[in-house]
Amino acid sequence: MALPKRIIKETERLMNEPVPGISAVPHEDNLRYFDVTIDGPSQSPYEGGLFKLELFLPDDYPMTPPKIRFLTKIYHPNIDRLGRICLDVLKSNWSPALQIRTILLSIQALLGAPNPDDPLANDVAQKWKEDQNAAIETARQWTQEHAKP
Amino acid sequence: MKFGQTFKEALKTEGFPPDWVESAISYSQLKKCINRLTSELAQVGLDPQTLGSLLKKVEDYNKATENDDVESRPFEYLLNDDDSEEEPIDGNDNAANGTTASNGSSKKKRPFHPKLLFYVDEKTGDLHSAGLDEKTKRKLQMFAVQTGLSDIRVHEESPRESIASTDLPSPPINGHISKRRPGYRTVEVPLTSDSEFFSMLASELSGLERLQEREEKRMHDEIANLGMQVAKLTNPDRRANRKLIAVWRQIFQIYLESDIFFGTTESDHSEHDAAKAAERFQLFSQRIAEAGLVEKFKKPENLKALNTFMHINQEILQSLRFGEINQTAMNKILKKFDKQTALDVKATFPKQIAYPDFSTHLAKQVCRTISTDLICTIPQLDDYSCPMCMDLQWRPVRLRCNHVFCIRCLIVMQTNKQHLCPLCREKTVIDACSDNLDIELAAYLKKWFPDEVKAKQKYNELMAGVDEYGEVYKEKCSVM
Ligand SMILES: [Zn+2]
Ligand SMILES: [Zn+2]
Repeated sequence: MALPKRIIKETERLMNEPVPGISAVPHEDNLRYFDVTIDGPSQSPYEGGLFKLELFLPDDYPMTPPKIRFLTKIYHPNIDRLGRICLDVLKSNWSPALQIRTILLSIQALLGAPNPDDPLANDVAQKWKEDQNAAIETARQWTQEHAKP
Repeated sequence: MKFGQTFKEALKTEGFPPDWVESAISYSQLKKCINRLTSELAQVGLDPQTLGSLLKKVEDYNKATENDDVESRPFEYLLNDDDSEEEPIDGNDNAANGTTASNGSSKKKRPFHPKLLFYVDEKTGDLHSAGLDEKTKRKLQMFAVQTGLSDIRVHEESPRESIASTDLPSPPINGHISKRRPGYRTVEVPLTSDSEFFSMLASELSGLERLQEREEKRMHDEIANLGMQVAKLTNPDRRANRKLIAVWRQIFQIYLESDIFFGTTESDHSEHDAAKAAERFQLFSQRIAEAGLVEKFKKPENLKALNTFMHINQEILQSLRFGEINQTAMNKILKKFDKQTALDVKATFPKQIAYPDFSTHLAKQVCRTISTDLICTIPQLDDYSCPMCMDLQWRPVRLRCNHVFCIRCLIVMQTNKQHLCPLCREKTVIDACSDNLDIELAAYLKKWFPDEVKAKQKYNELMAGVDEYGEVYKEKCSVM
């Protein structure tokens, strides 16, 4: 199936005006599949890390949200061991007017502001609530170990 | 090269109009003024070292007490006698860089009466606050005696500021006693070159401001004229103009994308300086050339209009550059003033008068006119694209919430049970029907985007066929 104009436009804009700290490059043989990287936000335990993600636009995009997950291991209360992300705009709050760009920005913001009250990775969220300083320290260590650019 | 020379060279060689060059800051004359002032000060023993060490004493004292104690100041240098009650200047940190958001250009200005004041004891003639070496002290004392108690240079303090008077048991009995510093009189050191310096600078700044207003008006008219001309050349009611609309639209689209004077992306949303703007403009011209758009203009009127457009942009560039070098000149001359006199004027100067933002203000105004009076004459596709497919919103369906989608996307949403408007999440998709077709907008789109309408119409029909017969419909269609 030919690529819808919308996907072409979104890709063009991602290439021409990249969002600071974020890159998204489509695969040559599958233009619906993107290699994504997000820089860990400064002032967060993920600072200095470079996080790889994969993003896929399903056939009925934008009626359904992009499928996206972390490939780099990350210690975060809203991201589970398989890299799946608990983010409302990727699920119930998705709207076809949202774009790849806006979603990646939301994920970047989520790294800067973890939300242990709305967890996906339950054990991490639990630790985060019990001893936030220790959890942040672990997140920092994981970043050093797994997310080195 | 010294700045004075660099400045002169820039004014001479960068092709500025003669009336601009005439309005430029006269750096070398101001420099001469400073030299005269330095010798005036030296005559009363106030060489920069003496003043500098005095100033440092005051600062150290203030720092130590965390209190701006006027009492301890042996001297004051006031640019305007009566300005301390002025409303606070917003963004005063930026005032010196010309990026201030305050309306610096419209602020009313008072003439400059700079004053260098010392305080002497009313009875003995002793100087208030020591810290002066004996020689200077003696000179000033002599000076105070010479000017005498009846001399106009001995000032009665106005009653407005009375820090010290609060701890006086009763108001001063006789009017000779200063309310601000009981027992002391202020003595003004007579200086003329400083008034000269500031009057000259002030009048040059207002000259620059007038120049800016004039240029702004002229460019505004120029753009409005061009706008009318382009509107005539691209009148969509004449079929022959259809191709031209597309060419002009593409030129303006590239122009908007080039972000010449201001960044509009997440990574750059700043005002560009002259160098960056020039670089962007170069890029814009290059893209226009590469797209082969000029060749598509058959009539000379179109070519002429494009040349005018390019010329206007070059003028904005020039005004940016002119503003920049003048602002640098002003900052440099004030720095020089302080370095050679140690009167510490730079700290107070921006509060007195702001640099008129020649460059960015003009660029902002003119750019706004370009978009309202020129670019708007030809509607851009981006302003009429459907938020879902990002293609032209054909046929346009206006939901109850006033958001517009193309009919194709509405159908897709309804079949997928997306009941909420993707933009405002109101439940307006579910009950939309053929009544929601926006007939007026449809006519407008047909008029301004004939090619895009045709293409979208074809696409919508194709997709409707796919809905009915499946993917195979598409292949059949393309064979036909
Ligand atoms: Zn649409
Ligand atoms: Zn709406």
